[in-house]
Amino acid sequence: MASPGAIIKSTTRQVKPLLSLDKSEARRRVLNLYKAWYRQIPYVVMDYDIPKTVPDCRKKLREEFDKNRHVQDIRVVDMLVIKGQMELKETVEIWKQKGHIMNYFKETIEPKPQGFLSKFLAGHE
Amino acid sequence: MALSMLRRFSSLVANGQKCGITRAFSAAAGSGSTTNETSPAIRKVDAVEKQNLIEFGRYVGECLPKFVQKVQLATGNELELLIAPEGVLPVLSFLKDHHTCQFTNLADIGGMDVPARPYRFEIIYNLLSLRFNSRIRVKTYTDELTPIESSVEVHKASNWYEREIWDMYGVYFANHPDLRRILTDYGFEGHPFRKDFPLSGYVEVRYDDEQKRVVVEPVELTQEFRKFDLSSPWEQFPNFRDAPPAIEDVPLDKPAGGEPPKK
Amino acid sequence: MAAQRQLMRQSYGVFRGMFLQQRCLSVTAQRLRPDDVDKALSVKEAPSKDTKNIFETKEEVERRLKLQENIQIDVPLDLTPVTGVPEEHTRTRRVRIFKPAKNAMQSGTANINRWRMEFETRERWENPLMGWSSSGDPLSNLNVDFADKEEAVAFCEKNGWPWFVEDPVEKVMKPKSYGLNFHWNRNTRVSTK
Repeated sequence: MASPGAIIKSTTRQVKPLLSLDKSEARRRVLNLYKAWYRQIPYVVMDYDIPKTVPDCRKKLREEFDKNRHVQDIRVVDMLVIKGQMELKETVEIWKQKGHIMNYFKETIEPKPQGFLSKFLAGHE
Repeated sequence: MALSMLRRFSSLVANGQKCGITRAFSAAAGSGSTTNETSPAIRKVDAVEKQNLIEFGRYVGECLPKFVQKVQLATGNELELLIAPEGVLPVLSFLKDHHTCQFTNLADIGGMDVPARPYRFEIIYNLLSLRFNSRIRVKTYTDELTPIESSVEVHKASNWYEREIWDMYGVYFANHPDLRRILTDYGFEGHPFRKDFPLSGYVEVRYDDEQKRVVVEPVELTQEFRKFDLSSPWEQFPNFRDAPPAIEDVPLDKPAGGEPPKK
Repeated sequence: MAAQRQLMRQSYGVFRGMFLQQRCLSVTAQRLRPDDVDKALSVKEAPSKDTKNIFETKEEVERRLKLQENIQIDVPLDLTPVTGVPEEHTRTRRVRIFKPAKNAMQSGTANINRWRMEFETRERWENPLMGWSSSGDPLSNLNVDFADKEEAVAFCEKNGWPWFVEDPVEKVMKPKSYGLNFHWNRNTRVSTK
């Protein structure tokens, strides 16, 4: 007997806060992180000499933040902000290298074939 | 006596197990439990030292009843305090500063992941007292999102250990002066020591000639790793069924307000 | 003259004694004076303040206290953005939660009562050079053991993997004996001789 999917139950819980106490504070942190990255981008392009333009990088930054737009949990937002801040620190201090910055753009990864015909032509099941 | 010895020997041989000195001695002695005195290969437990540790563990448990949840003795001579995560700083500073403890040396901070538990990560502090030549272990629990107070103010040595635990497990240490990755590559995503992180990882790196740099791509294994199931369906030490358990509890006297006094 | 000097010296000594007794000592030092040992018990020490908390403003104190209390979260726990697992391996992989069967080739029964989690299988192809079985699936060999079905389910929910539970088939061991082969009731004889 298999029961697929997710069980929906009451999910209110009391937890220890990570950084922020409420949603508005978490939102402020996210916006400040975005602003910090946005203002750092011209210097990133200059320091690392990457073959991308500043508008390209800004578009990529927006994409990355939009990927996590749906998150509602305060602590998950805080954790994402913490990780983003660490990445920013590594970028600002030039501990990263050009390759690490370019890896954000994922240029060499080919998208997997979706749909029947592409999969058939690629030879996969 | 002789018959039982013969039976034991034959059963040992029949099982195809190596007849080590331990088993031969235990078979010869005729009992599996009280082999401490006769067998040279079983670790000897110093009763005086053990009693000292038990009393000390009880003392610490009674000094800090708010945080110490359990005191146990592992393998006969390793004292462990299991504490609540809110009590990391009080307990560590007590153990460092109190005159009868003086655990001034932080030997190691380790982490452990048990995905079955709701608080899956265990943080383990190993302390050493040079004054009294003894060690103690302090264990706390946390999950992926709950922060733990950083013990850098109490022990400066925990700086890099906490960075390692953040990098490898993803446990956030609040008020750490410089929490950043220490072992993984810049831009690495994931926490490798977690049990649900695969052995091969999710990405692989290679040099790309068109891009003239190292690129990160989803992993593709030329030959898939083999899977081993190392748990055996047989009981491992049938001769030591009566042996004392590896972890012994040190009973703490709960202060009034626990259970009502028995009539 | 000498007598006057003697008088001065004596009075100076008295004055000095008076000043010593009235000398300003801190509370801690007063407790430690050797002449009155009981003072150490009766005079209380000033409470020591933590240096970083002395200059805190009221808001900072409030915030510090609030951070030590709990907050309330209403949304279900979903760790997919922070676990570091790539997107393709989160929502699309199904997890099978089951109790691994006893090894049919051995009759040992230790380490049997556990639940295990495995992922659905993905494509494996033949390596053209050596004929090895290659795979692009990092999670193909990932097994996590649990003590209980509910723990496994909670873990999968946390990490965003769709799961299904396979209930174990419990084998009922019937009591058997050799004598039943020669039972008086011929219907009960399992194997006739």
